[in-house]
Amino acid sequence: MLSRVKTMSEAVRLVQDSQMLAVGGNALHRTPAAFCHELAKLERKELKGVGAAPGYAMDVLCASGSISEVFFGFFGFENEYGLAPGMRKGIQEGLIKAIEGS
Amino acid sequence: MGVGGLWGSDLIAQRPEFFQVMKSPFSDEEVVTVKALRPDWAIIHVQEADQYGNARILGSDFQDVLLSRAAKKTIITTEKLVETQTFQQEPKLTSIPYFLVEAVVEAPGGAKPGICFPNYKTVDDTGMKAYGQAIKECKFNEYLTKVIEERDAK
Repeated sequence: MLSRVKTMSEAVRLVQDSQMLAVGGNALHRTPAAFCHELAKLERKELKGVGAAPGYAMDVLCASGSISEVFFGFFGFENEYGLAPGMRKGIQEGLIKAIEGS
Repeated sequence: MGVGGLWGSDLIAQRPEFFQVMKSPFSDEEVVTVKALRPDWAIIHVQEADQYGNARILGSDFQDVLLSRAAKKTIITTEKLVETQTFQQEPKLTSIPYFLVEAVVEAPGGAKPGICFPNYKTVDDTGMKAYGQAIKECKFNEYLTKVIEERDAK
């Protein structure tokens, strides 16, 4: 079997403009934050985000302007951290289309 | 695909682009169908993975196992790379099998400033506040540079 081990820099480059990303975890639990930090740096365009309850990692992609459309049930951090601010700002400014289906 | 549990919800009327009622092909019953999304990638952070992409989620998997099946391919980031033998000893504990996976990245602390139980059990409050502040002050790029620098310094 072939080793699939890659560096973070190699892995984020698999993601191309306009692709659809399902981002795992929930709110502030086990979200792929380091991956999304690195992907945000690439400034990919028109990505579509999917998650039942996306949180920090997806919000980083929203804040970086990488996401143009996001499908979710709930999108936030919960407790004292409230709603996800990058998503909220993107939607308010008309840069992100939110499709809420809960 | 067909789904149960939506009868009584306004979503059927409000989201016709996602939900449609059809007659069952097997009986006169009506069924609610939902349009499936087909993500190009599922990006999932786990506690343990091996070099081939076998991955183990400890604790709640939320929807991550489903996401890995729905997506065309999965990218795993893991707190720790472990030997394949670990998976062979307890095959039922494999959450995501290697053949769904395109890349595995070792990323200790990869869910921070959030939680990855049991590796780190509380939110990094300083980190979360810095993030909130950065968004408020339109300084996301500075925040991102700093977070990545701090990670690389470790």
